[in-house]
Amino acid sequence: MDRSDEKTEELTMIELRHAGRKFRQGLREVKALSDVSLVIRKGEFLSIMGPSGSGKSTLLNLIGGLDRPTEGEVILDGRPLHGITDDQVTLLRRRHVGYVFQFFNLLPLLTACENVGLPLLLDGLPFSKVKQKAEALLEKVGLAERIEHRPDQLSGGEMQRVAIARALIADPAVLLADEPTGNLDSHTGEEIFLLLKSLNDRGQTIVMVTHDPKAAAYGSRIVTLKDGHPAQDICIGED
Amino acid sequence: MSIKYAILGILAERDLHGYELKTNFDDKVGEFWSLNFGQIYSTLDRLEKDGLVTHDRQAQDKRPDRKIFSITKKGRIILTQWLSTPISKVRALRDEFFIKLVFMDKDNPAAVLDLIEKQKMLHLKHMNRLTRRKVALKSKICNRDTLPTELLLDAGLFHAEADIKWLTLCETKIKTEIKRKE
Ligand SMILES: Nc1ncnc2c1ncn2[C@@H]1O[C@H](COP(=O)(O)OP(=O)(O)O)[C@@H](O)[C@H]1O
Ligand SMILES: [Mg+2]
Repeated sequence: MDRSDEKTEELTMIELRHAGRKFRQGLREVKALSDVSLVIRKGEFLSIMGPSGSGKSTLLNLIGGLDRPTEGEVILDGRPLHGITDDQVTLLRRRHVGYVFQFFNLLPLLTACENVGLPLLLDGLPFSKVKQKAEALLEKVGLAERIEHRPDQLSGGEMQRVAIARALIADPAVLLADEPTGNLDSHTGEEIFLLLKSLNDRGQTIVMVTHDPKAAAYGSRIVTLKDGHPAQDICIGED
Repeated sequence: MSIKYAILGILAERDLHGYELKTNFDDKVGEFWSLNFGQIYSTLDRLEKDGLVTHDRQAQDKRPDRKIFSITKKGRIILTQWLSTPISKVRALRDEFFIKLVFMDKDNPAAVLDLIEKQKMLHLKHMNRLTRRKVALKSKICNRDTLPTELLLDAGLFHAEADIKWLTLCETKIKTEIKRKE
């Protein structure tokens, strides 16, 4: 490998090489994704936009190691996700990927702080240490006053902030978000995007999939998906 | 038209000479709307004739007097009325793109679909620019009131989004039509 290759590799966070994903639906085979080659650079805020059913969630799941391609390869922060066991993929995912979903997926009986700290607690870290970090993250997402609240005491926007803090607890190399504001009104949604943007300004790599052009517009790069294949890739300069 | 009311609105805050009026205008809405001095002075002329604005002369050293404009009582009444009246004329449905659609070759739908795709990407880039301006505006600590600017950027975003949605619908309907003919 020559020097320029090394350089590119240093700047690459995620690479997909001819990745595809087929699903069986009864007797039919559905090609959710086909021949996706994509390089996501460190520090990028990539929006992946496409209509419902175009394969956005499938793609994000491949990127984050929640699912594996039926063709091609995924390389996460220099580590190939092929040729290793599912358990090894899970481990890599827990260390390197933070996930934010449309429906927040918080545990109803836990406080905001406990929800945020959960991934580390499951990893066996002591509660006192986890608590400190979880509280710091809740402050960072603007929820210093909500640390001991349970999800049913929080608004939708606040729940999504908790979910973002939880996704950041293990210092992930990349933050993935699947329609993170799909359930929120325009103004609350905007505040979530501004939060994501400020995290990205501080160096966090973010990949967000959405059907909403207003959401996609926050990215520094926008890839559009059409029938499971990237149709357009626009990089936006600081003009 | 609204230039008239923008000028009345600015003069309602304080008396200004023409040059200051222009700077003030640019400050407030210049991001969306550019006016030249000619337009400002001709509008001021008309406002004076209608008795909505008046002027005083201010002497200057070695230079001709300059005019300081102020709003009249009648001007204030007209402005207040205008400010509290909703706009009854709905945005015209006369888009240049629509004219293109009407005259595109019906036997070559691929070209139409290609045009739609390109148009959508332009709208998306435009939305990205507006979003970046909004993010910059919101992260700046500013003593100037930035809310009107932010709201105008939002309006631009919503309009562009509506255009994208409409273009997507055009795409789907044209594709359905192609399938039906096959
Ligand atoms: N687990 C699955 N089993 C079968 N089909 C699936 C599965 N997940 C996704 N699909 C199919 O793959 C296509 C893309 O789905 P998805 O990635 O969820 O799209 P999007 O997130 O863009 O709405 C759809 O046709 C969907 O029905
Ligand atoms: Mg989805």
